[in-house]
Amino acid sequence: MSERSKDQPMSAEEQAKASSGRNGISRRGFLKGAGLTAAGTALLEGVQAFSSETEAKETGVREFGPGPVPVRLHVNGTEHTVTIEPRTTLAEALRINLGMTGTKIVCDRGSCSGCTVLLDKVPVNSCMVLAMDAVGHHVTTIEGISQGSEPHPVQAAFVKHDAMQCGYCTPGMVMSCAALLDRNPHPTEQDVRQAVAGNLCRCGTYPKVFAATLDAAGSTRNA
Amino acid sequence: MTTHVKEDALLAQAADAPEKKSVEMPVGVPGYTLQNETIEVPVTEPPVWPINKDLKYVGHTAERYDGPAKASGRARYTSDVQLPGMLYAKLVNATVPHARVVSIDTSAAEKHPGVKGVHVIQHILGPAVLRDPSLEQVRYPVVRYAGQPVAAVAAMTPYAAEEAAKLVKVQYQTLPFVVDLDKAREPDAPQVFPGAADQAGSAGGGGGPHNVPQTGNIHGPSIKRVGDYEQGLKDADVVVEGHYLTQVQTHSALETHGVVADWKPDMLTVWASTQGTASVREELAAFFRIPLSQVRVITEYMGGGFGAKFGPGNPGVVAAALSQKTGAPVRLMLDRREEHLSVGNRPSSDQRIRIGAKKDGPLTAIHLVAYGTAGCGTGAGCSGPAQNLYQYASLHTEENDVFINAGPASAMRAPGHPQGAFALEQTMDELAVKLNMDPLELRDKTDSHPVRRVERQIVRESALWKSRNPVAGASQGPVKRGIGMAQSVWYRFVNMNSAAEVRIHQDGSLEVLSAVQDIGSGIKTVMAQILAEQFGVPPAQIAVKVGDTNYPVGPNSGGSVTTLSLTPAVRDAAWQASQKFLADIAPALGSSPGDLVLVGGEVRSRSDKFQPLSFRRAAAKMSSAQISVQARRIPDYDPKNYLTYGGVDVAEVEVDTEIGRIRVKRVLSVHDCGRPMNPTQTISQINGGVIQGISYTLFEHRLLDPGYGLMVNPDLDRYKIAGALEIPDIDVRLVEAYIGQSSTDASGIGEAAGVVSIGAAVGNAVYNATGVRVRQIPMTPSVVLAALHAARQGEEMA
Amino acid sequence: MNSFVLAECTSVSAALSQLNNGAVVKASGVDLLDRMKNGIEEPPKLVNIRNISELRGIRETDQGLTIGPLTTLAEISGHPAIQSRYQILSDSCGHAATPHIRNMATIGGNLLQHVQCWYYRSEEFSCIRKGKEFCFAFGGLNQYHAIMDYGSCPSVAPSSAAVGLLALNASVELQSARRGKRTVGIKEFYVVPDANPTRFTVIEPDELMTAIVVPKPAPGTRSAYQKYGEKESFDWAIADAGVLLEMDGDICRRAVITMGAASPVVRRSAQAEAALTGKPVTEETARAAGRASVEGAQPLSMNAYKLDLFPVAVYRTVLLAAGKMGRDPSAAA
Repeated sequence: MSERSKDQPMSAEEQAKASSGRNGISRRGFLKGAGLTAAGTALLEGVQAFSSETEAKETGVREFGPGPVPVRLHVNGTEHTVTIEPRTTLAEALRINLGMTGTKIVCDRGSCSGCTVLLDKVPVNSCMVLAMDAVGHHVTTIEGISQGSEPHPVQAAFVKHDAMQCGYCTPGMVMSCAALLDRNPHPTEQDVRQAVAGNLCRCGTYPKVFAATLDAAGSTRNA
Repeated sequence: MTTHVKEDALLAQAADAPEKKSVEMPVGVPGYTLQNETIEVPVTEPPVWPINKDLKYVGHTAERYDGPAKASGRARYTSDVQLPGMLYAKLVNATVPHARVVSIDTSAAEKHPGVKGVHVIQHILGPAVLRDPSLEQVRYPVVRYAGQPVAAVAAMTPYAAEEAAKLVKVQYQTLPFVVDLDKAREPDAPQVFPGAADQAGSAGGGGGPHNVPQTGNIHGPSIKRVGDYEQGLKDADVVVEGHYLTQVQTHSALETHGVVADWKPDMLTVWASTQGTASVREELAAFFRIPLSQVRVITEYMGGGFGAKFGPGNPGVVAAALSQKTGAPVRLMLDRREEHLSVGNRPSSDQRIRIGAKKDGPLTAIHLVAYGTAGCGTGAGCSGPAQNLYQYASLHTEENDVFINAGPASAMRAPGHPQGAFALEQTMDELAVKLNMDPLELRDKTDSHPVRRVERQIVRESALWKSRNPVAGASQGPVKRGIGMAQSVWYRFVNMNSAAEVRIHQDGSLEVLSAVQDIGSGIKTVMAQILAEQFGVPPAQIAVKVGDTNYPVGPNSGGSVTTLSLTPAVRDAAWQASQKFLADIAPALGSSPGDLVLVGGEVRSRSDKFQPLSFRRAAAKMSSAQISVQARRIPDYDPKNYLTYGGVDVAEVEVDTEIGRIRVKRVLSVHDCGRPMNPTQTISQINGGVIQGISYTLFEHRLLDPGYGLMVNPDLDRYKIAGALEIPDIDVRLVEAYIGQSSTDASGIGEAAGVVSIGAAVGNAVYNATGVRVRQIPMTPSVVLAALHAARQGEEMA
Repeated sequence: MNSFVLAECTSVSAALSQLNNGAVVKASGVDLLDRMKNGIEEPPKLVNIRNISELRGIRETDQGLTIGPLTTLAEISGHPAIQSRYQILSDSCGHAATPHIRNMATIGGNLLQHVQCWYYRSEEFSCIRKGKEFCFAFGGLNQYHAIMDYGSCPSVAPSSAAVGLLALNASVELQSARRGKRTVGIKEFYVVPDANPTRFTVIEPDELMTAIVVPKPAPGTRSAYQKYGEKESFDWAIADAGVLLEMDGDICRRAVITMGAASPVVRRSAQAEAALTGKPVTEETARAAGRASVEGAQPLSMNAYKLDLFPVAVYRTVLLAAGKMGRDPSAAA
C-alpha cells in the first residue's frame, strides 16, 4: 500500500472496504480469468507474470473484470496493490486509489497533458491509459521525481522563475520538462515549446516555463 | 462590475471618522512624475513607506510562497480532497436547450447498488430571474439551456455516480429555443423568458442593470449620456465608424468548479474551488438558512477562476444538500463539458461605434450601440472603455443584453472591457489614420491619465515601436509584418471586508492569517513580504495561513481587489503587533516602549540602554505566549479620488495573407498597478493577461449548434486555447505609480493586464501589416481571409 | 465510461479468438477511450493487444518498410531511416495530436481512428455515421468539414499518417481467424460514406491489423508533408498536404499529391499531380498544382476558406519536397 499516516484521508478503496451494508459495491465478476479462484489470491503483475500460468499460456488470453480486480502497480519505485475495475484509468488509480493527487485530471481526453506521468521514462497522458496497461511498467509521477527532500532541478527552477500561477498545470508541466531534459539535456527554447505543446496552462505562464526549463538544463549541465 | 463592492466601501467609509494626521507620501511615477504630497491619514496608520527601491522585501522579488508545494504536487486543491466515507456526486443535466420539466423519475438511480442519495434541484442558481415570478407556475425550474443541472446523485465511486446519473429519467416538454444573437433579436423569436428578467451578478461582479426595459429577448437599453452626441458628431471634422463582433469565450479554468461538502449537525464544512471563501459561506448560509458561524469554507489551493468562481453555485448547493441527506461528505467536481456549459462565460458583443474628432485630435463624440448575449443571464455591457478611457465633448452609449438559450455568463477578467476595447481602440486607430496622426500622439491629445502618458512615452522610446512602419501594408511578400498598440483601463475597487491577524509567538515565529484565498495571483507571498518588511525576517520564514473562513474575513478575489484591499490590513496588523510587542517586552529590557524600535530584524534602544537584540531573542522576553493583533481595512485615504489605472500594449504580428493565419511575434506590455508588491508575480499575471488575450483574439469560440442549441466543442481540443507554440516574446514593463491611498499603496493588476487591450492591439497590428481592418474575433483564417477578400473586392470596385 | 471485460492477449491468434460478440480491439486505446468517455461506444469487451510484442517494431528491407501496427507515432517519426528515406511518413506521424499522445498512440490506431466531426463525437447527436438517417453538419456548424467527395457525410479524414502512407502507396495487412490474411491498399482501406456511412474502413469486426507495408520509393524520390491548423499547439488540420515527387533531374517524372482535411477519406489529387508531371518544379507549376487540387470542390456553408488554404498547402509543400522552399513557418513546425 501507499505509505500514508493514519490522519491522512482515506482512499476510495479503503472507504469501500471500511463501509458495510446494503449499499456496498457489488463485487460481481471479480475475476473471470483462468487460474484464479478467489479475489486477491493472484495478482496481475504484467504479461510476463500471467503468461507463465498454465492455462493462460495455452490460450494466450486472460480476462479481467468487469468488476474490480487486484493489480500491482509499480509507482515511484514502490509496488502498490490496488483493486480496480478494468475501466479505471491510470490517472484515476493514482489519484483515487493511491491518493497521489499531484497528477491532475483536467480535460480527461488527452488534450491538456495536466495528467502527465512517465511510463518507463516516456511522458504520457495518464487519463488515456488504462491503469491495467501500466502493470509491468515503471510509473513515475510528480511525487516521485524529487530525490528525497531535494527537488528535481526542474522543480527548483519552476520555483525560482515563478513558472506557475494557480499551479494546476504545474505538475504536468514539470513532468513534461523533466522528461525533455532526460532525453535532451541541452534543449533550445523551441525544443521546450515542443515538449510542452500539449500542456495547457490557462493562467498563461508559458514564458516562465520556458525560462525555468532552460535554466534547469544549465544547472543539470553544470552538475 | 463590482458595483455592490463600491457601495459597501462607501457605507464603511461613512461610518469611519477617525482622528487624522498629516503625512508626506510619495505620489507619481519615479523617474517621471514622482513628488511628495501631504496627505491626511488616520493617526493609527503606520509610518509611510518610501518607494520600492528603498524597501527591503516589499516591491522586490520574493519566491512564490507556495511555489515548492505547487511544483512538487503536494498542494492540495479542492479536487484532491478525500475524506473518510466521502461520496462522489454527479449531476444530471438537461439535454435540451429550453423545456419545462414534466417529471423526474429517480427510482432506478436509487436502486443502483452504489448510490447513497439522490437530489432533485428545486431552485436553480445562475440564470436571470423573472421580475414577476408568477408568470411561470412550474414544479421544477424551467430549463433555459442545454446542460442546466436538473438533479444529482451521490454514490460510493465516481463510476457508480456516473452510471446512476444516467438512470435518472427526466421527461421534458420542449419549448421553442433560440441560440443565435441575431435571431433572438427578431420580433417573433422564441422567448427565453416569458417576461422581464434580471441577473444579480456575483461577488466577483458581472450581472447586468436591473432598471431597464425589456422587449422580447432584449434586456435594455441601458443608456449613458454625456452632452449631446448628435451635436458632437456635427462638430467633428472627421467621423470614423465601425461594426465589431466578438464571440463568447469560456473561462476554462483547469480545475473545474466544485466542492467537497461535509454537513455535520453543528457545522457545514465545505472545501471549495472558489475565488471567494466569504461568498461561498454567505450564500450557503442564506440558501440553507443557517448561521454564518455554522458554515466553514476552506480553499487551500484553487486551480484558476478568472471571474467565474464565486458563491457555491449549483454544485455547491447540491453537494451540501446531498451531504445533509446522506450524512456523508460529498464531492462534486464538474466535468469539462459541464464547466463549459453551466458556470459562466464572457458574453459576446455586436457593437456599432462612431467617434467624431477635431482635425487636431480632441474627441467631439463617442457613440456606441452594443448588443451582446450573456446566455440566459445578463452582463454583456461593454461600454466601460468608451466611457472611461478618453476625454470627450459628448458620449452616448447603449448596452443591450440579448437573452438566448445558453448558459448564463459570469464575470470574466475585466468584464465587458476586452469587448469594448476591441471596438474602441481599433476605431481610435482608424481615427489616427484618418487624421494622419501617430496613434500615440492621438492618445496624448485625448487621454489625460497621467500614468498612461508615461506608459505611452515608454512605448514611444521602445525599439519595438521605433521599428514600426507607419505606412500600412508596406511589407512585401505574402507574409506581412505589422505593429499596433491599444490601451486599457480598470478601476480601483476596495473590498472593505478585508481583515488579517498577525501573531507573534514567544519563539520569535510569526504568523499571518486571513480567510482570503490565493487564486494564483500570489497574495500569500505578498502577505509574507509585508511581515518580512515589518519584522526584518525573510518572507519564507513567515507562516501564512489563508483560505479558511476560520481566519479573519478576507476579500473575494474579483475585479482586481485582493492585493489593494487586503495588504493595508495586513500591514496595519503587523505594525500594531510590532508596537504591542515592543510595549510588552520593554519592562523586561529595563526600558520603555518609546525607547524601543524594531529595525532590520533587531530591537534597539534609542538611548543605547542595551545592545541591539535579534527579534528572536527579543521575543523570548514576551510576557505571554502570543501577541496577536487583528486589523481590518480602513478606507482609502482620499476615497473621493476615484482612481483608474491601466496600461498600453503593443503587438507585433505576422499575417500570412495567403492562408489568413496571424501569428503574434512580440508584445510590449506597459502597465501600472500602484505600488507593485512583488514584481515577479505581477509580471506573471501580465504575461497571463496577454496570453489569454491572444487566445481570445485568435482562437477561442464557444460554438452552439443553431438547430439544436447544443455546444459542439465542450472540450479542450475543439475549444481552442493558445498553447506553448502560440506564445510571443512578451516584454513587460511595470510602471510604479504611487497614488497615496493606503499604507501599502498597492493597486490591482489582474483585470487591466493585457487581456483588455491585446485584441485591439493585434487588430491594429493586422491593419498596419495589411492595410485591412479585421473587425471580428476570433481572427481565424476563415475570418481573416474573408476580410482580405472583401478589401480586395472593394479596391476593385473603387 | 461503461464497464467492460478486458481480455489480455499475448499473441495474434489469441486476440483473434476473442474478436466476437461485440468485442473490440484496444491497442493504446487513445481513440477508443475517447469515444467511450464521450459515450458514443459501449463495448462489452476490450481485446487488449497492447502487449503483443510481434505487432510492434519497424523493419527496413530492400523492398521497403514493414511497420508493426503497435509502433507508436513517436517511434516512427523519430526513426532515423524513416526520417532520411520516408520523410513524408515521419512528417505526417510527427504532426498528429500532441507529443504525449504521439508517445502513446499507435500507427494502427491512428489509421483506424474514427472521424473527428463534433457531431459524430457527441452522444447528443445521432448521426448518419451512427446508423441514423441524418447528417447535422450540412445544415449546422461545418467550418472544419470537407470540401470535396463527401457524399452523405462531410467529416474529414482524421489520420495524418494516412496522408503520408497514401502518397507512399502503402498497404495494410489484415488477419482474421476464419479467413486468414489479406492485404489492402491504403486507398481501398478507407470506406467513403456513400458506400457505407457506418464504416470507416474495410476492416471487419473479427479482423486485426497485423502490419503496415510501405514499398521503397523509387530512386530520386523526394517527399514532404505539412499540416495547417488555426493554431499549432495541438490542433486538427484545417488543411494538409502530402507530396511525393520522383525527379528526373529538374523534371518531375511522377508526382503524388495527397490531402486529408479536404474529404472524408484521404484523397489523391490527379489534377494536381497532372499539373506537375513532366514539368520542372517551380513556384509557377507548384501553384498550378495547388489550384488544381481544389478543382471541383463544393464547399459547405462555412468552409469556403479551405479553397484558399489547400492550394497554398499544396504549393508550399511541393516546393518543400523539391527542396526549393524551407518548412513553412505558417504550418505546424
